[in-house]
Amino acid sequence: MRSPFRRRSATDLSPPAKLGAFLILLAWAFIVLFPIYWLFVTSFKTAYDVDKGPFYIPFVDFQPTLSAWRYILFDLGNDTIRPYVNTVIVGLSSSVIALIVGSLAAYALVRFTYRPRVGIVGLFIGSFALATIAAIAGAPPSIAFLSGLAVFLILAQTVGRRFVRAFGNSDIAFWLISQRILPPIAVAVPLYVLFQQVHLLDNIAALILTYVATNLPIVVWLMRDYFASLPRELEESAAVDGASVYRIVRSIVLPISVPGLVATFLIVLIFAWNEFLIALVLTSANAQTMPLQVAAQNATRGPQWWAMSVLIIIMITPVVVMAVALERFITRGILVGALKG
Amino acid sequence: MSRYRMVAAAIIPILVLTACNSSASPSPSSPAASTPAASTSASAPAAAASQGTKFKGANVNILTFNGPQVAEPLQRRAPDWAKLTGGHVNVVAVGFQTIYDKALLDASTGTNSFDGYVFDPQWMGDFVTPGYLLDLTDREKNDPQLNQQDIVPFFRDYNSVYNGKNYTIPLDGDFHMVYYRSDLLTKDGLKPPATWDDYLTIAQKYNGKDLNGDGQPDYGSCIAKKKGAQSYWWIISVAAGLLQGKGTSDGAFFDTSNMNPLFGKNDAMTLALQTYAKTATFGPPDELNMDVGGSRGLFTTGRCALTMDWGDIGTLTPGTYAQDKTGATITPGWKQVLDRASGKLVPCDATTCPDAVDGVNYAPFGSFGGWSGAINAKAPKANQDAAYDFLSYMSAPAQSGIDVTLGKTGFNPYRTSHFTNTAPWLAAGLSQAATDNYLGAIKTSLDNKNFVLDLRIPQTKQYEQDVLDTAIAQYLAKELDEAGTEQAIADGWNAITDQAGKDKQLAAYVASLGIKK
Amino acid sequence: MATDTLGAWRSDGAARWLFIWPAVVLILALSLFPLVASVALSVSKLVFNPGSVDLDFIGFFNYQELLFGREKSHFLGVLKSPTAIGWAILIGTIALAAIAWVRAARSGRVSPVGLALRLVGGIVLAGFVWLLVQTLASEGGRPGSLVVTLIFVFGGILLQLTLGLGLAMLAVQLVPWRRFFRILFLIPLTITPVGVGYMFLMMTDTSKGPFEPLWVALGLRNFTWVTDPWLARLAVIIGDTWQWTPFVFIVLLAALESLDQEVREAALVDGASRWQSFRHITMPALLPVTTTIVLIRIIEGFKIIDMPNILLGGGPGTATQSMTLQAYIDWNTLNLGRSAAIAYLLLILVSVVATVYVSFVRRRVTELA
Repeated sequence: MRSPFRRRSATDLSPPAKLGAFLILLAWAFIVLFPIYWLFVTSFKTAYDVDKGPFYIPFVDFQPTLSAWRYILFDLGNDTIRPYVNTVIVGLSSSVIALIVGSLAAYALVRFTYRPRVGIVGLFIGSFALATIAAIAGAPPSIAFLSGLAVFLILAQTVGRRFVRAFGNSDIAFWLISQRILPPIAVAVPLYVLFQQVHLLDNIAALILTYVATNLPIVVWLMRDYFASLPRELEESAAVDGASVYRIVRSIVLPISVPGLVATFLIVLIFAWNEFLIALVLTSANAQTMPLQVAAQNATRGPQWWAMSVLIIIMITPVVVMAVALERFITRGILVGALKG
Repeated sequence: MSRYRMVAAAIIPILVLTACNSSASPSPSSPAASTPAASTSASAPAAAASQGTKFKGANVNILTFNGPQVAEPLQRRAPDWAKLTGGHVNVVAVGFQTIYDKALLDASTGTNSFDGYVFDPQWMGDFVTPGYLLDLTDREKNDPQLNQQDIVPFFRDYNSVYNGKNYTIPLDGDFHMVYYRSDLLTKDGLKPPATWDDYLTIAQKYNGKDLNGDGQPDYGSCIAKKKGAQSYWWIISVAAGLLQGKGTSDGAFFDTSNMNPLFGKNDAMTLALQTYAKTATFGPPDELNMDVGGSRGLFTTGRCALTMDWGDIGTLTPGTYAQDKTGATITPGWKQVLDRASGKLVPCDATTCPDAVDGVNYAPFGSFGGWSGAINAKAPKANQDAAYDFLSYMSAPAQSGIDVTLGKTGFNPYRTSHFTNTAPWLAAGLSQAATDNYLGAIKTSLDNKNFVLDLRIPQTKQYEQDVLDTAIAQYLAKELDEAGTEQAIADGWNAITDQAGKDKQLAAYVASLGIKK
Repeated sequence: MATDTLGAWRSDGAARWLFIWPAVVLILALSLFPLVASVALSVSKLVFNPGSVDLDFIGFFNYQELLFGREKSHFLGVLKSPTAIGWAILIGTIALAAIAWVRAARSGRVSPVGLALRLVGGIVLAGFVWLLVQTLASEGGRPGSLVVTLIFVFGGILLQLTLGLGLAMLAVQLVPWRRFFRILFLIPLTITPVGVGYMFLMMTDTSKGPFEPLWVALGLRNFTWVTDPWLARLAVIIGDTWQWTPFVFIVLLAALESLDQEVREAALVDGASRWQSFRHITMPALLPVTTTIVLIRIIEGFKIIDMPNILLGGGPGTATQSMTLQAYIDWNTLNLGRSAAIAYLLLILVSVVATVYVSFVRRRVTELA
């Protein structure tokens, strides 16, 4: 039987190095798995078991019980299913939309040149800020913002044009990522007011919109690097041959960037799946998502570990399944085929 | 370019149109001031309502805590009520941390998606002043289903009253008691602690001994002290007996004449802080990060001789090691009390502590106040009536009598009938002796005229959850000493008071302590 | 970043706008209003009146409270005079910064504006080190939420980068079970941060947690980490690292997988050592992605809240209270003004850090690539 640690090619590691690598990976796997295992085991305990002290192995240390599972899945029934469905819909749709919109923007930032003028940008922000302050001070919002828009348009032709200095692509990119700096609590109440004005409170549409907006910067920044590292020759030769941008993107860029796209999709999906604070503020009965249920297990009289463990397990299962299914797209094989083919 | 001009030209007519429309309809930022329904003249629910159709078609949204406690009994009994009245209750349960924010945001922005709330009556200061809650005084007085006279005076006349009017329906009676291992104390011929010095003595005696026969040393006292949880209420229980001596209207938080924080630089506070810190020396090593679930768990598995808690331990012991080994007693008091003028401690006598029992000034603390139902003043009248009826149904002796015996509801006794009828308690698994002892302790506490009302003025959360909690946590972590802690609390409270307007806050404080005529 | 446009594409004018505007509009729509509204909140106080909510303008009162007034000890910390080591660090930093500035000035390659900016940057850096030294390397000093957040961010990133890169490099090799490892290592990231917080609370419980027999065996029965400020901070960093290393891992893994292997193979066949091939081929190719990851982790890391909040509530005392946690406590008690003020100070701080990072580190690195 051939050793699993044998050298498979000239550039592969030597067997002892491989063994070392394997052991290190195994150690980290244990570090990752043990808390999950503990979570799993706790979901089968009663409150009393949890309080009595650590029990490790079901049937050996303690009597496992399905009471927590029954409670979450049946007693709470609809109160678990509804947030679950919401999380799935909101997570998937916001990630897909963010991925598409963000990747296109990232590609544009890498291949096109933009030069928005400082004057125009400053004027826009200024007019908008004035409109907001007017709205807060009591003016009807629609009038305030339309007036702001009008002011901007009128002044843009005169004052805005004076300042010739322009921003560049990297400034746009920095502006995008700087959106993530402000902690969600600062924007939670203003967002609440915003969605209240358009009657979208307690509606998953509000969540989807917000998550797309908050996760776009991540998509743009991650995909920017992937696109930038792609060899330009392929696109150049296709352009010279007369292919349009759309064609190039679809037939050449897209297949090569699959690893990056999949990795980014998973990350953004996870961010949207697990987001807590915005969901807390924007939803109440109908649009609740799973993270709220997890946090809610912290009863006023102490966390209910057993119920919480069940919730966490059912929450991570679809994401893990998706990661398993998509993992192979992050591998080398497909890439090599695309380049050589 | 001309592009801009075109767009600008298009905007102007739109602006004009919008301006015309806005003047017609009220703008959302200042919701139309609909006069609160003339609640004071609301008639009592018709006694002869036909079965199953009184509130047919009504869909009531009640905001409450996603427990499982508190939400559980509401969700369990909603179908029964629906059968009786035809109305549908939608229990919107959210995490504890956010009920306050959600309710306030919902009411203040005019969203009004909730018809009623089951929440903390302590927040009344923030909800009643802007007019968000419906006045329920006459409804409750004339409601046979509610049976208002059955409710114990403290919860009826103080806790649900603000500025002389009833705004909430009690569903739960929250206050602190001390629990002890009755088997240990009986064996050693000790009486339950009457003062906090007794508490410390007993704690010291049992600390480090094996109290549940598993070979491991256990603890004398377990009091949850985690920051950012519910721990800030315990210090109030320790200090109250020193700060309030002349009855509920005396108040335990501020001086009623000048809004001076009582939780400030005085000898009473110093003594209370030192006592509180001492209990930690007889407790588990990670007590500073333990919340109530932890201390409860330790007590029920027999690892603590003493603990302080709401009423829950009584109903949680069946099926655990501590079953039939648990006794409850009124929160320990003090034999001295604070003289507010001098800031010094004076002994307890007939003038300084008129309600003292055997020379000890007890001050049972109605911490949190007990989950109560309230009605949104801006909800449609039909929904208000339906919501009120549902909450009154929940509070009625028939239903609440059973709910308070069940640990899973999170509801504790608050009606006289809860004490006189012992059958449900026995059915829940308590022995007769345990029931008598538990109910006896509750009754003793509720009968005490020096019962302490939790702080119920505007910004109460900032006073307690922000300033007090942080200062106490810093004290326990030895970041501040007693003087520094007292200064921090006093400065913090004064800053909040000043920012909200000292006169307003003083008036609110005095009003919150007043008794209903 | 070198952006290249090709003549052949200039004619596709529509694509230029079509690709970028959806993203810009979406973000503008949902971020501009909250941004401005938060500023308004931070300079006002909320008053609930019958029928409306009013914002009363109070000027910079909240900021003043945080930086100079009553909340200073919570935000900046308790500032005491530094020990000898503290002075040494401070003087050393100032000296190094001064030397760097003089060198830049002498080189003649930096514009006057650039020099002015660097001077400001140097002063800001000195200010920060002064704050750090006064709170951490002094007698009786205590760090406030600003310093605690800095500790979390930089300590965490260091660990996460090391672990993430190391694991990605190993997982790319042809070792047995590698698919299993790669999927498994993703899992911590998939758990909602609140859930991870509670999980770690369970794990680190010294009486009920799984390590209890270990503590007892080591004679640490009465040991607890919750009362020691530094152990508490370490616990938060460990939890944070466990959770976020997968993020670094997955992005670097995808980057490694996208690398062109031919150059590397050729070099190895030609006799280069593994270290040389890593240093001169793999690392430069990975640098752009790595700097992006670090930037994202810096920005995200400054917002840390769930781990310290759930593990310790910000305790013991205020030892693990991050800025966002302090803002959250204020938010929860409906002190929206001060909460917004803290958030804005955070915004300013992180913007400065991010700008410096992008200008100096990232630009150099991507030019190398």
